Amino acid sequence: MKQPKKRRFQLSERQLGYAMVAPSIILIAVIIIWPIMLSAWNSLFDYRLNDPAKAERISSLSINLETYADNRYLVYDTMEDVRDAMPDAGGTLDDITTALDEQHETLLNTDEGLADRYEEVNTMLDNFQPVNDEELRLVEVPEEWADGFANTLEEQTAAVQGLREGAPEEAVQPLTDLESQLSNTQGSILEPNFVGLKNYSTYLGDGRTWTAMLNTLLFTVVTVGVELAVGLAVALLINRVFIGRGLVRAAVLVPWAIPTAVAAMMWTFLFDGQSGIMAHYMAQFGLIDDPGALLSTGAGGMFSIMFADIWKTTPYMALLLLAGLQTIPRSLYEAAEVDGANKFQQFISITLPMIRSAILVAVLFRALDAFRVFDLIYVLTGGGPANSTESISVYAYKLLFEQQNFGAGSALSVIVFLSVALLSTIFIKLIGSDLFSGRLKQ
Amino acid sequence: MVKRAGVGFYIFLIIFVFLVMFPFIWVFLTSIKPQGEIFSSFQWFSSNMTLDNYASALETRPLLMYMMNSFVVATLTTIISIIVASFTAYAVTRLPIRFKGLILGLVLAASMFPQIAVLSPIFNFVTDAGLRNSYLGLVIPYITISLPLAIWILSTFFIKIPLALEESAKLDGATPFQTFRKIIFPLAAPGVFTTAILVFIAAWNEYLFALTINTDDRWRTIPVGISFYQSQYSVPWGDITAATVIVTIPIVVLVLLFQRRIVAGLTSGSVKE
Repeated sequence: MKQPKKRRFQLSERQLGYAMVAPSIILIAVIIIWPIMLSAWNSLFDYRLNDPAKAERISSLSINLETYADNRYLVYDTMEDVRDAMPDAGGTLDDITTALDEQHETLLNTDEGLADRYEEVNTMLDNFQPVNDEELRLVEVPEEWADGFANTLEEQTAAVQGLREGAPEEAVQPLTDLESQLSNTQGSILEPNFVGLKNYSTYLGDGRTWTAMLNTLLFTVVTVGVELAVGLAVALLINRVFIGRGLVRAAVLVPWAIPTAVAAMMWTFLFDGQSGIMAHYMAQFGLIDDPGALLSTGAGGMFSIMFADIWKTTPYMALLLLAGLQTIPRSLYEAAEVDGANKFQQFISITLPMIRSAILVAVLFRALDAFRVFDLIYVLTGGGPANSTESISVYAYKLLFEQQNFGAGSALSVIVFLSVALLSTIFIKLIGSDLFSGRLKQ
Repeated sequence: MVKRAGVGFYIFLIIFVFLVMFPFIWVFLTSIKPQGEIFSSFQWFSSNMTLDNYASALETRPLLMYMMNSFVVATLTTIISIIVASFTAYAVTRLPIRFKGLILGLVLAASMFPQIAVLSPIFNFVTDAGLRNSYLGLVIPYITISLPLAIWILSTFFIKIPLALEESAKLDGATPFQTFRKIIFPLAAPGVFTTAILVFIAAWNEYLFALTINTDDRWRTIPVGISFYQSQYSVPWGDITAATVIVTIPIVVLVLLFQRRIVAGLTSGSVKE
């Protein structure tokens, strides 16, 4: 009696598990994975919101009359060859002709004057003249027609494939030709703003992209490096019992907790050439030539951004590392002392190995944060002066929403995404299963 | 841990805390200076303190409206993501389902992706749905940030609860969902609360989506609102410092009240216990 009941309980527990996981998975799929795929898709188009002809990816669907007329002629010609080689295919061929003619009529009726343009193109083709005039050759077509046309072509291609089974040998070649001509006809339908990888090649060949990429890398390496070194030093120093721990912890958390944009505004004020106290004292101590240099030169701007980030994040880093330090058993150090190891040896052979995974996890999340830096730079320098402090995210944002170039902006955001994916893969390889250790029971 | 703190240590500590707090101290001191003194002097204290800057900061821009917007958006985001995330974290840590590693890997990947990579499709989606300049228009994209964060932190709290509790609930005839609702969720309440604070702060601080989607001044959030105090021609530092002080106060209160929990949430998972 008890046995089956228990099994049913197990089963429903598992079903409940999947039901509980489902909402998150669906949300992640719909608002993260799908948009990332859309970004990748958008990046393949010359897609600009401020240009009516390119404001949507597909709306300016067109037909290339030259290709269309050329292939239409070839298809009808080849069908005659098939008819000769395979008399009993006549019925199917008639069906194909009817279907294509019907689509042809609909096309010519979609726009006034289209029939005349088609005739003009046809005449030129008959005289072996290339149709170079885009105005003549390219015609916008309604999506319904293009879809119907594509369907017809697909159906007729299938019909031709059907004929090829059991066709006499002399009919095989014309049937193969017919098939490829039908698919070439489909090629006359153009999505003119599809540019493939062109956005990537353009922007990867552009100096500004590489400046932005280098700025981002420099920013990531320097800030995370300094934050780790200073954070570790601070953590080691305050890893002891003292009065006012809570107060220190709160003080340290405030810079982390305030919005980055607000912190950036504060530092804009402190770095300001006229009324900024940081700029004032740095100039007084001869660190910079004049107080204005911080925000008006590329090097000064880069320094300002890094300094502000280090200020905001080092305390947070110190807290993470302190938590790691506090898990090291005191007995290890006692044993080392008995063995005569000095403080430095203890640090190298006990402290560092024991907090290795804490360091790697902290560095992973910090590095990813730093790599996608946006708010700080956008508010503090706006990427200036002369784009010298622009990060890759800031450049992508400007392309997307200031130039309204969604194709190019998406290409850059995909590049950011791929870089982050690469970066995290490397780190996760280094950290290994430790990353999941607190969350899964093995 | 047992190292004792000497005088030198406290001096170091005071210097460290002072350096960390210096920008706030200076911004606060500036905010109570009269306009004229902000631009001319680097004196710490003004002899004629004034609250004019505060009045001006609240008049020139709808600062309280920004705070209201941020509060509503961050609260909605927190509630939605905590509910959805607690289901997932519970299932992944305590129920016998398959692909746990895969699910957590997906969550981790989702927490690492750069927001700029989804910005334009989400912008198009929100525009098409007519949600530009609304609360929901921000809550939806904020889930992309808060949901993975919440699952990630919550699962460290759920896994610490002893399994024995569930076993006895099972023996007493509780259904799995009852076990979750009546036993595990209340036990994990401190962890849930900690997670909620971190999610709330993350949503409160978000800039990129807020900048792009809610472009109407009426719907701006705090970070965006503050960054728009400076205009092209003049930088009203008095207003900006006063506004900064006003918006920092709630954060300071939050941190003072919950610093222990925040640290527990931040360090969960990065440290093995």
